[in-house]
Amino acid sequence: MELFVQQLVNGLTLGGVYALIALGYTLIYGVLQLLNFAHGEVYMVGAFTGFFVMVGLGGPGKPIVPVWLMIVAMFLAAMVVSGLLGVGIERFAYRPLRESTRIAPLISALGVSLFLQNAVLLLFGSRVRSYDTPRYWSGAGPQVAGVQVNPVRILVLVLAIILMVGLTRLVEKTAFGRGMRAVAYDRDAAVMMGIDVNKVIVLVFFVASALAGAAGVMVGLVFFNVNNYMGFLAGLKGFTAAVVGGIGSIPGAMLGGLLIGLIESFTTAYVSANFASVLSFLVLILVMLLKPRGLLGTRAIVKV
Amino acid sequence: MRAATKILVGMMASGMALAACAGGETPAATSTAPAMAGGSTSGTPCTGAIGVMAPITGGAAAIGGEQLNFAKLAVSDYNAKNGTNFSIVEGDTQLDAGQASTVAPQLVSNQAVIGVVGPAGSQEVESVGPAFADAKMAFVSPSATRTSLTSGAFPTFARVIPTDDVQGPTDADFMVSKLGAKKVVIVEEKTSYGAGLSSAVEKALKEKGVDVKRIQVSQKQPDYSSVVALVDADTSVVFATFQIAANTKALANTLQQQSKKAVVFGSDGSFSADFDVPGQYVSSFAPDIKGIPSSKAVADAYTAKYGEFGTFGPPTYVATQVIMTAAAKDCTGTADRAKTSSNVLGVSIPDSILGQPITFTDKGDVKDAKFFIFKIGDDRKPALVN
Repeated sequence: MELFVQQLVNGLTLGGVYALIALGYTLIYGVLQLLNFAHGEVYMVGAFTGFFVMVGLGGPGKPIVPVWLMIVAMFLAAMVVSGLLGVGIERFAYRPLRESTRIAPLISALGVSLFLQNAVLLLFGSRVRSYDTPRYWSGAGPQVAGVQVNPVRILVLVLAIILMVGLTRLVEKTAFGRGMRAVAYDRDAAVMMGIDVNKVIVLVFFVASALAGAAGVMVGLVFFNVNNYMGFLAGLKGFTAAVVGGIGSIPGAMLGGLLIGLIESFTTAYVSANFASVLSFLVLILVMLLKPRGLLGTRAIVKV
Repeated sequence: MRAATKILVGMMASGMALAACAGGETPAATSTAPAMAGGSTSGTPCTGAIGVMAPITGGAAAIGGEQLNFAKLAVSDYNAKNGTNFSIVEGDTQLDAGQASTVAPQLVSNQAVIGVVGPAGSQEVESVGPAFADAKMAFVSPSATRTSLTSGAFPTFARVIPTDDVQGPTDADFMVSKLGAKKVVIVEEKTSYGAGLSSAVEKALKEKGVDVKRIQVSQKQPDYSSVVALVDADTSVVFATFQIAANTKALANTLQQQSKKAVVFGSDGSFSADFDVPGQYVSSFAPDIKGIPSSKAVADAYTAKYGEFGTFGPPTYVATQVIMTAAAKDCTGTADRAKTSSNVLGVSIPDSILGQPITFTDKGDVKDAKFFIFKIGDDRKPALVN
């Protein structure tokens, strides 16, 4: 029972991170029908930003500000930097190709992905860096069914839920959300209704990338290591989660992320760590075969 | 939409393939030849290039950089002392067998290269061994410990460090006699290195009646929480056969996060400043040469030029000495690749900087080599304990 609860906590934490990455994929796909393959690298840049903010505030051994303030600063900086990076990517790599064939921005996305990986390699080297969280936050957490849940995991899980709920509210209740949904539904009609499509797309990229930046800091805090290649696999898992949940569907991305996280966690515990990723991608293939629009994807109505 | 989905999946696969191809850095082949005048048996300076295969970039770059710099220092010292004109050709393997197998042909086709120092990892040695055997190219690893590497499959291979057959029992003895281990979890990195060493340690522990559980993980595993959940509360030691020290640190930190009492014992691949969690243990195939009086000059020279170092660099210095000594024997101007290879096992360095003489068995292993065990102190630095 203890093992089950521990893996449930682990799976939900990992799933929360995947869900945030998946939300970025799904938001951007929703408005542009573009698979932003550079999204994993935006997440990586967020993780590095959080790391350097931590170092700038004294490092893990001797923070010069209270720990809570340092962590808040890490999240804010990572979300802002990643958000701005996403806006920059949209402006220079995708917008010029918006009216071209669908393959062009995909190739551009791959190029941006490789560019960012190697730019970080050149700037910061290839050394694996550690958030070293236990050095500044090592308090024992509450007991749940005989398992001591680490407070960092609780923070990450709660924050992931807050961000997901916040995003849902943003999309459903605000003018920006209505604009976003209108652009996603019919971009030409949205223009005719006076919606500034470019502004909506820029904001979508900012929000999606900021979520990835937050996910990067979460991974650093919980799993510690950051390096310039970390975005590739995480991006792939986030993409898988988005597709499993139903790409374009916000609840689908959340469900997909949590599902992939739980699958990986329980596979490691009850089957083998060797099969954790295998089973995740197997689920992707099965969903593609049995429910091509994903678990919560909606059927598109095409005018003929 | 189904067609679109297929296209998307196809795109994803293409993206993965492209990224996999482009994710690594093309190995550099830069020469840093010192222009030293010197003599040889014919009066002209003995000349030749030495390939250095190391993880210069990637997750193990801290190790690779140290290995490369120690090789450079060895060449510089040797040239200055012997009047030779050896130089270095760098080959970045990123500690990846596939990458190493692309670097090896480049070194083989470079006629100036008369021997190779490296590669660092056992899986890399296995991938480049046949190419170097065909080319009669000597290659001396400063850190590949898998025992089977010197079983005869790679006739031009030698190493200056002990094997896993030495490391396994040494580490197991320490775990049982000093740490009182009765239950040990081995977290095995899924590489040739991890598999060989894990088997050696498991065998030695079981012979001592220790309860052993073995868990495999990928070198690129980002999250150890699910693995750590499998470590029982009464486990006293988690032995990690990782080659990236930051991963060993993440494992130790995750154990602490889950309030597990077990200490992490890292194998030689974890000996780096990146693994600095107090109270944990790590083994190494080389001593801390700063404590060896006869090695002080080399240690000081390195520190002055490149900064601090761990235990991966000094064996590289010795491996480079071995190749140069073999190449310089009977050298008449330009060193010969085949002669160098046939001379390697006859090399003797009685006063190596590792604090022990270097002579080889007929299989290419160094005679009477041993492993050392360190404990990471509160100052986050390893201190020799065995």
